[in-house]
Amino acid sequence: MAPAIETKGLTKDYRSPVKEPGLWGGIRSLVNRRYKDIRAVNDVSLRIEEGELVGFLGANGAGKTTTLKMLSGLLTPTAGEALALGHVPWRREAAFQKKLSLVMGQRSQLWWELPAYETFRLNQAIYGIAEADFKMHLDELVDLLDLGEHLSVPVKKLSLGERMRAELAAALLHGPRLLLLDEPTIGLDVVMQKKVREFVKAYNQRHGATIMLTSHNMTDVVALCKRVIVIERGRILYDGALDRLVESYADHKILRVRFSTPVTASDLRTLGSVVHCEGESATLEVPRANVSASAAALLRSYPVADLNVEEVAIDDIVRRLFSHS
Amino acid sequence: MKKYLVAYSIALQETLQRRSTLLMDRLGGFAIVVSLYSFWNALLGDKPSFLGYTRSEMLTYVLLINVLRSFVFTGRGWQLVGEISSGRISSYLVRPISYHGYSLALDMAQKTVHAVSAFLEVALLAWLISGGIFLPRDPATWALFAAAAVLSSLVFFFLEMLVSSLAFWTSESGGPLFCFELFLQFAAGAFFPLDVLPEGIQRLLSATPFPYMVFFPARIFLDKVPHPEALRLLAVELAWLAAVVFAALGLWRQGVQSYAAEGG
Ligand SMILES: Nc1ncnc2c1ncn2[C@@H]1O[C@H](COP(=O)(O)OP(=O)(O)OP(=O)(O)O)[C@@H](O)[C@H]1O
Ligand SMILES: [Mg+2]
Repeated sequence: MAPAIETKGLTKDYRSPVKEPGLWGGIRSLVNRRYKDIRAVNDVSLRIEEGELVGFLGANGAGKTTTLKMLSGLLTPTAGEALALGHVPWRREAAFQKKLSLVMGQRSQLWWELPAYETFRLNQAIYGIAEADFKMHLDELVDLLDLGEHLSVPVKKLSLGERMRAELAAALLHGPRLLLLDEPTIGLDVVMQKKVREFVKAYNQRHGATIMLTSHNMTDVVALCKRVIVIERGRILYDGALDRLVESYADHKILRVRFSTPVTASDLRTLGSVVHCEGESATLEVPRANVSASAAALLRSYPVADLNVEEVAIDDIVRRLFSHS
Repeated sequence: MKKYLVAYSIALQETLQRRSTLLMDRLGGFAIVVSLYSFWNALLGDKPSFLGYTRSEMLTYVLLINVLRSFVFTGRGWQLVGEISSGRISSYLVRPISYHGYSLALDMAQKTVHAVSAFLEVALLAWLISGGIFLPRDPATWALFAAAAVLSSLVFFFLEMLVSSLAFWTSESGGPLFCFELFLQFAAGAFFPLDVLPEGIQRLLSATPFPYMVFFPARIFLDKVPHPEALRLLAVELAWLAAVVFAALGLWRQGVQSYAAEGG
């Protein structure tokens, strides 16, 4: 079967004018503009099969959004090739666009003053969705995203979480085969994040759509992606199973504890390395294998009010990965 | 085609939804009409006519400006500049839709609302100054006027698209658009009839598409243009429309390419 996405040596340089300081510099740069090239994506080759759900990770400025923009056809690469669903994305053929959806967490396509339902109707017309399909998809999305009564309220009156879910529904009405999600959970609270995650997973399983998602939220990635691609300064650093990435690079977990009486750092040293300890709260780094033992010891020997076991932040893993290579 | 109809109907709803914005717009336009009206009234004084315009013709011209302003001068330029600089333009570029078609549909919705309310305002004013305005008898004049107005509004729409597309290259394209709109209102005759200007400037202006947007339609309405000549004016305006559409789409394509290359 043909892959959903295949790129070879995909490279993107941004060219931005160098701003010279001062008035004179400004005038000079009007006449003789100098440019600086920034290589945002560097020789990226990857292959994603139909129906895969892949996490795309990297620190700020690593080149994730730029890659997604090229795959959706918004940007033309400086060098390299890409095929998405058999199309060259930046030709922006209607046949391709009807099978694609790009969702950027910070951007909205909904009409602000009107209920989201109106934007849905517009997208129905734009994508030429038959009435029966529209009804069917809408029912499913309303159900999965728990949108019900929110569709008849002007979008500007929705909370961020409600709007984001409406945004996802608007982006999926046409049943895209390829879904590019750029930080879909940004700014959402934990409950909303979970809802969006569950939705993405369910959508992937039900429709077999190929999904590529970026997030700085490790929980998103752990919950959703078997495979991750890590990118650093525009280059692919790791492409493979998430399990292996986490095991080999995040060799410890984080224990976040709140006690009912103050505790000193020196008491906790035997349990793991103390990242932070102040009054009644403490944060420990504990090797993966010792997590349950340490947690049990904590609960046994201290007045614990609250205890959380967390994965290391994805950025930390990425940084570690970077220093390993 | 259906997508543009749906866009039109949604935009119509939205315009009506934002009643306070609409009201402010209308009040602004109304204030211009009232001040122009008082201005010309003062200039006319007791004279029966001034620079070739009788009192009722001049009043009619002023009221026509209100209608044409509402129908012709409602482009989507500022939206385009905003969408390019904020990057929102992306959400259209990844969907199977023509930005110009879509914008035109939204513009038509604006025009519908504004033209209707301008018409009501003018009817009210005409009633207040009881009968002092000129209405053409010949239905052909009305038809020619309507055709000219529709062409003008299309020319204006694409001119705005043309100028706003500069935003693909510079972050300061609000400036050019602002100057353009101001100059255009003057050159189109939206402040005063152009034939009060010196001959030389008139000749210069008539080599541009601008007088075709307010001045000529208004003159057609005032029956100051014989019908064959009116038809010729329409033909020229149609040619201007073709040229402007061609230029706007061409620049747009270039702009999108550079946006895709530089990553707006
Ligand atoms: N339009 C642009 N013009 C110039 N440089 C840009 C532009 N967009 C991005 N860059 C630069 O390209 C690099 C990659 O940016 P990109 O947005 O792809 O990163 P990212 O991985 O999505 O980061 P984040 O996690 O912060 O969203 C950065 O160094 C950024 O400064
Ligand atoms: Mg990004």
